[in-house]
Amino acid sequence: MRALVLALSLTMPLGAFAQDRGSILADTVNAHILPGYSALSEATEALAATAQADCDPTSTTLRTAFHTAFDDWISISHLRFGPSEAEDRAFALAFWPDTKGFTPKALTGLISTEDTAIQSTEAFAETSVAGRGFFALELMLYDPQFSQLGSEDYRCALIQAMAKDINLNASAIDADWEGYAANLTSPGEASPYRSENEAMQELYKALITGLEFTAETRLGRPMGTFDRPRPKRAEARRSERSLRHVELSLTALRDLAARLSADHPDIATDLDDAFTAAIERAQSLDDPAFEAVATAQGRFRIEALQQSIKDVRAIASTELGPTLGISAGFNSLDGD
Amino acid sequence: MTSRRRFLAGLAAASLTPMRGWSAIGAPDYLAAALFPDGSYRLAGLERGGDILFSLPLPARGHAAAAHPHRAQAVAFARRPGTFAIIIDCATGAQIAQLEAPTGRHFYGHGVFSTDGTRLFTTENDFEAGQGVIGVWDTEDYKRITEFSSGGVGPHDMRLMPDGRTLVVANGGIETHPDTGRTKLNLPVMQPRLTYLDQSGEVLEQVELPRALHRNSIRHLAVRADGLVGFAMQWQGDTSQHPPLLGLHQRGDELKLLSASEADQSTLQGYAGSIAFSDTGDTVAITCPRGNALHQFRVSDGQLAGAFLLDDVCGLGTGPNGFMFTTGTGVIGQLTATGAKIATRSDCQWDNHLIPIRAAA
Repeated sequence: MRALVLALSLTMPLGAFAQDRGSILADTVNAHILPGYSALSEATEALAATAQADCDPTSTTLRTAFHTAFDDWISISHLRFGPSEAEDRAFALAFWPDTKGFTPKALTGLISTEDTAIQSTEAFAETSVAGRGFFALELMLYDPQFSQLGSEDYRCALIQAMAKDINLNASAIDADWEGYAANLTSPGEASPYRSENEAMQELYKALITGLEFTAETRLGRPMGTFDRPRPKRAEARRSERSLRHVELSLTALRDLAARLSADHPDIATDLDDAFTAAIERAQSLDDPAFEAVATAQGRFRIEALQQSIKDVRAIASTELGPTLGISAGFNSLDGD
Repeated sequence: MTSRRRFLAGLAAASLTPMRGWSAIGAPDYLAAALFPDGSYRLAGLERGGDILFSLPLPARGHAAAAHPHRAQAVAFARRPGTFAIIIDCATGAQIAQLEAPTGRHFYGHGVFSTDGTRLFTTENDFEAGQGVIGVWDTEDYKRITEFSSGGVGPHDMRLMPDGRTLVVANGGIETHPDTGRTKLNLPVMQPRLTYLDQSGEVLEQVELPRALHRNSIRHLAVRADGLVGFAMQWQGDTSQHPPLLGLHQRGDELKLLSASEADQSTLQGYAGSIAFSDTGDTVAITCPRGNALHQFRVSDGQLAGAFLLDDVCGLGTGPNGFMFTTGTGVIGQLTATGAKIATRSDCQWDNHLIPIRAAA
């Protein structure tokens, strides 16, 4: 079969004038991505070991291990490409938002039937992603609905199975990054990224989607509308981690942005200033689960935080994007 | 100048007839939304040579439109998640009516008129339930009559089957909520499907993609005269995979998925914007604005018949000798047996879709 190829026009990539990107790519991989996944892998190993030793949902050591590992996940949760997407690992680590209550349904199903899938890691990995990962474990540790349901032994075994499954996924991503890293640092024929520009664009996309997810989903879901705020839609509200996730993601995204703009000091400064403003707003909130969205005053402050994140995104897309050869096609960038 | 004269002649003729038909305004062959060089978003009527016969202002960026089967009226939708659509008298540019989505609903940007023109059907989101609905409107006064389930989540394009009764809906599978903008809320559990409904909402047939492709959102449709449905998809899964973006379905049969070679397919970035059959129905094509490509396939054996590099190509419709296409860079072009050629170049940034007007076709 002969494919007929006709070039009617050529795009001049703006990034064609950019300097060598190799050092930025190597730095981002070695100092941002790999340490992040390595930390997650270690923290989830500790979580699995802790759960094995003590599965009491109210146990301080178990809850501390849960918080540490969850922190490490949120800090790399913007890196949604490559190893995290294989075999649905990222979704199995973090099923949120859960608009139709699949997680409580999955847990109720497992517990009420005493599903034996939890006895083997392979069988558990075949169950719904909604009943696995940090958000399912959070319900087991913090939601009173699940501290009484079914038998104590089964709940204990379920918590242990979840922790082990989280660790298996996290360490699989970490292990795969060992090999995947070269795709970003040495783009070309053997890599999904054919050029340094394409590799840079993947990282830029992670920055932009990370900012959008935090502004529109982490904050937007509990904010709802002025007439109908939705505090119960806040992320990980039962363990009071909602605001913490915003802070952790902004801190991680600031680090990524600084590395991606390393060869443009003016842009780096603009981005860092905007991140600082957003993080300071987050730190001044003192409202861990965004309950204040239900009040006019509280909502106003959270809206201001959301706007400050949108400001960061605007700087990233208007200043940083063009340096990476991102030219916004009318139909190609924001399709429908 | 020809087009202007035709347009003025159309206006003169229009003033004499109470119910203006498409021929009265120069018989445009297509409708398309665009960002015009003066910064305004407009809906344009195009003839097959590429001339703009008229253009009418839209309140915001448009998406698709649907043409009334005989009245010179069009419904233009805002981009999702818009809550209004406007009915335009294409002869005068006047807005005849504005459709407001009911509370708790928003439009997805596509709709279709019934064969007799008395009803308009619109794809909508019941966003609290996270379920798709089809709104039914009376075209006499453009009041809402009723609604029914679309048979899935995230209904996008919808067409009328050649029997004039059956609706086919692309339930894209992606749940969104206005509180969170265009954020996709259900990727791990999304399940796109093609749904056939009668006009009272009864589901006649549903077809789903294989499990491994459940993250391939079915978004846009084309229907051949014999009822063969073509659908274009947008991949929401791992970007290192390059699944088919075009499918064919004949009622009662299995789905067929069409793909170029891995080397060609991998340049498309998992995204197809529009789909159409050629005038003879022998070939089917998709536009891929992220890959700057138009792929044409033979229906008979499902093989790639041509791949064309076209910057930001997206709008696509059946043409007189194949296809017509538009691009975000201002090109209106024709794809025929001898290849792709530019008919006109303008400063308009043509939006996603090029909609053939049935009465004129």
